[in-house]
Amino acid sequence: MPLSYAELEQFYGSLVARARRRGIACAITSGMACVAFGIAQATQDCDLLCAPAAAGKLLELLGEATLHGQLPSYRGHLTPPLDARWLRGGWTSHFVWEAAGAEAYLDVFGVAPRGSSPWETELQGFYAGPHTVAEMKRTNREKDWPFVTALGAQMLEVQDARGWLHIYDENLLRTFGGVSPAPAELLKRRPLLALAAANDARLHAALYAEVQFWHELDRARLRIYEKAVRPYLMAVKKARVPTVAALATQHAIRVRCAENHLPTNPLNDYGIERMIAEAREALGQIVQPSALAWLPDVREQFRIVAA
Amino acid sequence: MKKTGHQTKAWPPGVRRRVRQAIYDFHVRAFGEEMARVNFLPLAERRRYVADMVDHAVRKGVKFDKPALGVTP
Repeated sequence: MPLSYAELEQFYGSLVARARRRGIACAITSGMACVAFGIAQATQDCDLLCAPAAAGKLLELLGEATLHGQLPSYRGHLTPPLDARWLRGGWTSHFVWEAAGAEAYLDVFGVAPRGSSPWETELQGFYAGPHTVAEMKRTNREKDWPFVTALGAQMLEVQDARGWLHIYDENLLRTFGGVSPAPAELLKRRPLLALAAANDARLHAALYAEVQFWHELDRARLRIYEKAVRPYLMAVKKARVPTVAALATQHAIRVRCAENHLPTNPLNDYGIERMIAEAREALGQIVQPSALAWLPDVREQFRIVAA
Repeated sequence: MKKTGHQTKAWPPGVRRRVRQAIYDFHVRAFGEEMARVNFLPLAERRRYVADMVDHAVRKGVKFDKPALGVTP
């Protein structure tokens, strides 16, 4: 009998509650958070933000967290260990509970991809705040973008001005631009908001360019991590981690492999500025050069992972 | 959704209605009429709808797991 969504939601919610009782700062994000915020998304896996410093405590908790009598294991050869050193560097640790006939998936992040402010400061119940969730959804997957806009619109409805940073629908931007101007400090962060306020015809091309820019940035970021993980992948394969081994045993083997073969922060090693320059260059091949003038300064979105 | 920092001024009721309609129209364009309707249901009903939708998909064999790559888009 597969696990129902309600069962999974309750399981993950209770995991977060137990984690917080142990002093672990954590929050559910992505699809499940969108559902909680009122934007329906069919999802079953749970993305969890966890303060890197609490990685050890979370691992200990996961080692005791049964689902239908099953304990979790690390998922796949590419999964880095749940350890502060790699979480801080932007890696994700993947876990699976292989309960009879049904599986539950948990992905743990230490740093919210593209997060411009610390996610720990804005929790909403079990969930990360909508600003963090919207930033995380600026991926290279087309399907994520309507969720970004929907979250931004909700934020503006409750008078959180940062919603302006997340509206990627032209009609909606023009509507908001017509009722109230974006604050000056946000115009600096996202120059095309000036086009929306002026109902300028160039908005369409500028919006397209901005979305494509985020796509290129995400592609570049993923390429950097995918290249960096290869030696680790070979080492984990060679170590033949027994899938039935206790989580702590699996973890110890992965830490050993990671210490020898997995850079903690490949994005920093590669250079944030270099990655941004390459994304701009790739973008230049697909959009009008004039649209590049309206791109946002995205360095803030990579400041935390570079710290 | 609770209020946070960076507050702007509240809109008058007429503007609020116009904005609300524009947001609803966006949901129709982006997610389709049915999901737009769902997204504007009260929270408990919305969650129940999503739970039913996911459970139905799982019974029909849909897999929701993403590849474990060590890095997430």
